[in-house]
Amino acid sequence: MAITRINVGPIHPSTHGVLRLVVDLDGDTIVKVEPHVGFLHRGVEKLVETRMYMQSPPYMEKIDYMAPMSVQELYVATVEAALGVEVSERAQYIRVILLELQRLASHLFWVGSICNDLGQLFTTFMWGFRDRDMVLRLLEVATGQRMFYVNMRLGGLVRDIPEGFDEEVLEFLDYLEKRLPEYERYTEKNPIFMQRMKGIGTLGREDAKDLGVTGQVLRASGIPYDVRKDDPYYVYEKLNFSPKYSTQGDNLARFKVRMQEMGESIRLIRAAFKKIPDGNALGMPIKLITPNAKNRIVTVSRENPRGEEMMYMVADPQRPYRLSIRAPTFINLAALNHMAQGNRFADLFPILGTLDLLMADVDR
Amino acid sequence: MSIDNIIGSAIGSSSILVSLAGLIAYGIIIAIVIFAFSYFFGWFERKMIAKAQYRHGPTYVGKYGILQNFADLVKLLAKEIIIPANANRFLISLAPVLLVAVNVFIIFLIPFSPALQASNLGLGLLIIFVVLGFTPILLFITGFASGNKFADISAQRSVLMLISYELPMIMVVASIALVTNSYSINSIIAAQSKLPFAILMPIGLFVFFIAMLAELERPPFDTREADSELIAGWLTDISAPYYALALLLDYTRMLLGGLLIAILFFGGWSGPFLPAPVWLLVKAFLIAVFITVIRITTMRMRIDKILKFGWVWMMPLALINLILAYILFV
Repeated sequence: MAITRINVGPIHPSTHGVLRLVVDLDGDTIVKVEPHVGFLHRGVEKLVETRMYMQSPPYMEKIDYMAPMSVQELYVATVEAALGVEVSERAQYIRVILLELQRLASHLFWVGSICNDLGQLFTTFMWGFRDRDMVLRLLEVATGQRMFYVNMRLGGLVRDIPEGFDEEVLEFLDYLEKRLPEYERYTEKNPIFMQRMKGIGTLGREDAKDLGVTGQVLRASGIPYDVRKDDPYYVYEKLNFSPKYSTQGDNLARFKVRMQEMGESIRLIRAAFKKIPDGNALGMPIKLITPNAKNRIVTVSRENPRGEEMMYMVADPQRPYRLSIRAPTFINLAALNHMAQGNRFADLFPILGTLDLLMADVDR
Repeated sequence: MSIDNIIGSAIGSSSILVSLAGLIAYGIIIAIVIFAFSYFFGWFERKMIAKAQYRHGPTYVGKYGILQNFADLVKLLAKEIIIPANANRFLISLAPVLLVAVNVFIIFLIPFSPALQASNLGLGLLIIFVVLGFTPILLFITGFASGNKFADISAQRSVLMLISYELPMIMVVASIALVTNSYSINSIIAAQSKLPFAILMPIGLFVFFIAMLAELERPPFDTREADSELIAGWLTDISAPYYALALLLDYTRMLLGGLLIAILFFGGWSGPFLPAPVWLLVKAFLIAVFITVIRITTMRMRIDKILKFGWVWMMPLALINLILAYILFV
């Protein structure tokens, strides 16, 4: 049968932004998927070079608009490494709490959007959105902003968490803990959902290694690699973090890994609130930073909601000489062709959805 | 008193003219019913979906957003008709209109009460399902004529859908005709005066309802329109005024599906207190609400799974239903 070449995107309901896919179809079976990226390229890496160190966090947040704080934190951590600034222990705990809340927000959004990719009429999407909004409200209480926080300073934060924040968060976690089984019941008990997810888009262990995928895609393929465990930062070691993984490697495994990660995040936040010490959490005021890079070249990596994000910085005294970002979604997108081959055209979008793409992060 | 008699007594002329005038009057009534149902059910569905998703739905235009659909309609009709260069101009302009016409025609053939009906056709049931068979073919033509690859895939799926659910549906209809020993809708409704066929043939209802979901392109069988895969399927290259027509078509088919299920399985217009047409419309409305609830919750099935489902589950169930109907009731 003749090969049909279909151009999906850059304007398409399910490409999560502006991704263009050139799909070769043999009947209904995918022969090849060729992603074309770059429609959302904003040259962030170059912009950073022209600015002082602490002028850049607002740019960083827009890289990953579903989890802005995690990229911002990564950038601040990179600058801290370059300038040799220590983070106080209380600030470390608060950062972990906020980052895990951010992870919850990102994953809740994802749970909804995967059901949307499977052809649902935005119902789970809106439910996820509703719960995500509660997380955003908590983050607003802590930082003053709903989405783009810019609340990190070198060595700490702009402000400490307000009083009573822990009670509010714990109350929300109790609520979310009841909601998560509901999501699972809604999806994993649904025969159509299982039919569309189980055994679709399988990525084997060795292939996952060879393709260099990160995050949940890697963990779902049977490699329990998580930066929080393998290269622990902040206080994750003290909180007894253990990565969630699966050996199946299919869509369902990626779904389950993300659901379990939400449970783990809830546990981490609770544990962090138990152990959080008193002390100073504030970072250096921007004007007091003495631009004096101690380490010329630094590489810092973090387990972001979408996978391992890495920043490589060549530091100058005044500003970064060069900043390079290894975006997890860009790496994961490269595995799409491998995962989609041999599947049906209708399955391309759930597979794409389980990669948890974000075009702003892919193109930067 | 039938509508022919009313008009006959009003103008009192020859019988051909009377029945023609009666048909036209009936046609106007049907058009009003279809428009009213499409409009208000469209609004109601939006509100219902919004309720399920913790949203408000339309609120701005009119009280409770009741005029929102009118505003949408005006917007759609005010837009330019764009026909892509690749498209077959003739077919793409004709097929959507024909689609609506076919579905309106079927509703026209459906009797609303013992008095309110176009004509008591002896073969009414047969004609309805023959005409209903045109819908997937017209969808195929629309998709194929628009010269868009997404619409093309949608057209291919349309054919696959046709062979997966049309046969079981016809077999259920055959079992009903077998039990009532008639193709006339009036006698089918009369046969349900004691017990509706929903109780006598639950398997038949199950198969017919699922086949109807597929026929109406409602989730989980909305593979032809699959918005997350095919953008809008056969509607991808349809420009705004035709899209308004397609929306009308959507709710016309919803009404049609509700009416057919109500007539074949829930006793049609029979019911206490309320007048017959109201009962029929209430039943159709409730069935449409049920279809919408399914639409809110379910995800889309893959086309090859639908084909398999049709042949592995629906077909044997329809056969069992036919055999049981023959053994038990004939």
